[in-house]
Amino acid sequence: MALERSQKEVWKLTPWLLIVLLLANFILMAYDARAENEERVIRVWTQAAANFIQSPVTTIGSAVTGYINYLTNLRSAQSENDKLKQKIQELEVAVQESKELTVENRRLKSLLELKTDSEIKIIPAQVIGRDTSVWFNAAIVNRGSLDGVKLNMPIVVNGGLVGRVTAVSPLTAQIDLITRDKSGLGAIVGELGSSNALGVVKGTGDKDVLEMHYVPGYETVKVGDVVYTTGQGGVYPPGLKLGEVIEVRTGSATVPHQIFIKPSANLYSMQEVAILLYTPPPRPKYEEALPNAVNEEEKSESLKEKK
Amino acid sequence: MENLKITIALIVAIVLQWTLRNVAEPFAYVDLPLIIVVYAALQRNSIKALFFGTFAGIAVDALSGGLLGANGFSKTLVAFVISEIARRVYLDNLLLRIPVIASACLLDDLVYFGMHRLLGQNLYNPLIITMAYTLIGTTIAGTFIYLFLDSFSSSSLRRRKKDYFAPRRQTRRRNPIRLGRK
Repeated sequence: MALERSQKEVWKLTPWLLIVLLLANFILMAYDARAENEERVIRVWTQAAANFIQSPVTTIGSAVTGYINYLTNLRSAQSENDKLKQKIQELEVAVQESKELTVENRRLKSLLELKTDSEIKIIPAQVIGRDTSVWFNAAIVNRGSLDGVKLNMPIVVNGGLVGRVTAVSPLTAQIDLITRDKSGLGAIVGELGSSNALGVVKGTGDKDVLEMHYVPGYETVKVGDVVYTTGQGGVYPPGLKLGEVIEVRTGSATVPHQIFIKPSANLYSMQEVAILLYTPPPRPKYEEALPNAVNEEEKSESLKEKK
Repeated sequence: MENLKITIALIVAIVLQWTLRNVAEPFAYVDLPLIIVVYAALQRNSIKALFFGTFAGIAVDALSGGLLGANGFSKTLVAFVISEIARRVYLDNLLLRIPVIASACLLDDLVYFGMHRLLGQNLYNPLIITMAYTLIGTTIAGTFIYLFLDSFSSSSLRRRKKDYFAPRRQTRRRNPIRLGRK
């Protein structure tokens, strides 16, 4: 009898508990949706805890995969060896040429009194985890705030830009890929300084395609052209390779081109990446405060000049 | 004992969900925490199932690119619905559990998708294809996991199941020739 009563109490309590838990989850979601570019405590600490499990599993997994690949590759080793020997000879010639170019470059720089090369530091990182939800494609790397990683730092691989850091725990960091439809960055078709085809590259949600908007229709853009970052937007440094143009829906004088780009980085089988310890230059205060806000100081100065 | 078994199973499921996609991509289509949450809901303890749903959901969300709490929301709702159905309908049979896990998977995906759309988030993968693959993966994996978990059922649970299905009393066959006699 007593057991029956307690069961009834449970049945009465359940809907209330459901409402409380659903509400708590909804508040978490709403907070997370708003604070997308800020530190998120629960995410950070869960990642830190998960790192102790993910790291050994990834190490063992990659060791097994590596051994299998090694056995598979033994078959084609001889022909590959011959090809590599030939390539070494070609590379030796290329290295010699590049040495000459470096010397020439230094000489020209000193003539122009330019400062030294980019001082962006790079730290290598291993991908230790993939997104737990099938609906997304974030990745987790084994470098965190203890290594100097901060929010929004760019991630690159040999091929080009991969994405940016979206959450940082002491030992790990979560990265979001550029193909996600929420990402957007300033880019240029062709090299900076030699092209005017500036625009904004956005993810399409499609795994292998990026879309470039706002490139004026009178600019010449061809399939196969290379797209680089411009540094606009304040997250990515200029000059990082994004990919190649695979399709152009030509615009007109008043209608911009619609350009589709294939990312040059292999985003879905990457094992190792590099994190650029890049801090964007500080933005003016009025830009941080409100979108499209007018800088009163500049405005008053320009008025004075006019007067 | 039963509670401990399900708690351990849930922790193992979360850990596997964290790691298996890194080993092979198709594992992403198996929602292991959902399978355990539904199993807990089928034990007719709705409070436990609700807490399991929230905990598993948030643990999965924390390592995902999606919104924190979206999985918690959908899994809590699924746990409630399944436990309410299990309270009214007998679902201890494995064959009956297959459509239950399939519909739980569909509901979970739809709610997860809906909550993201509601808060202005676009999901990475197309709805129908992802739902179809997840449905297949989760249902097949769930069936085997339930078989495995049931093999560890405590003796009291087995007794309870036996009570639900007490052996039918065999009625004595009456001789039709004798029936005609007075």
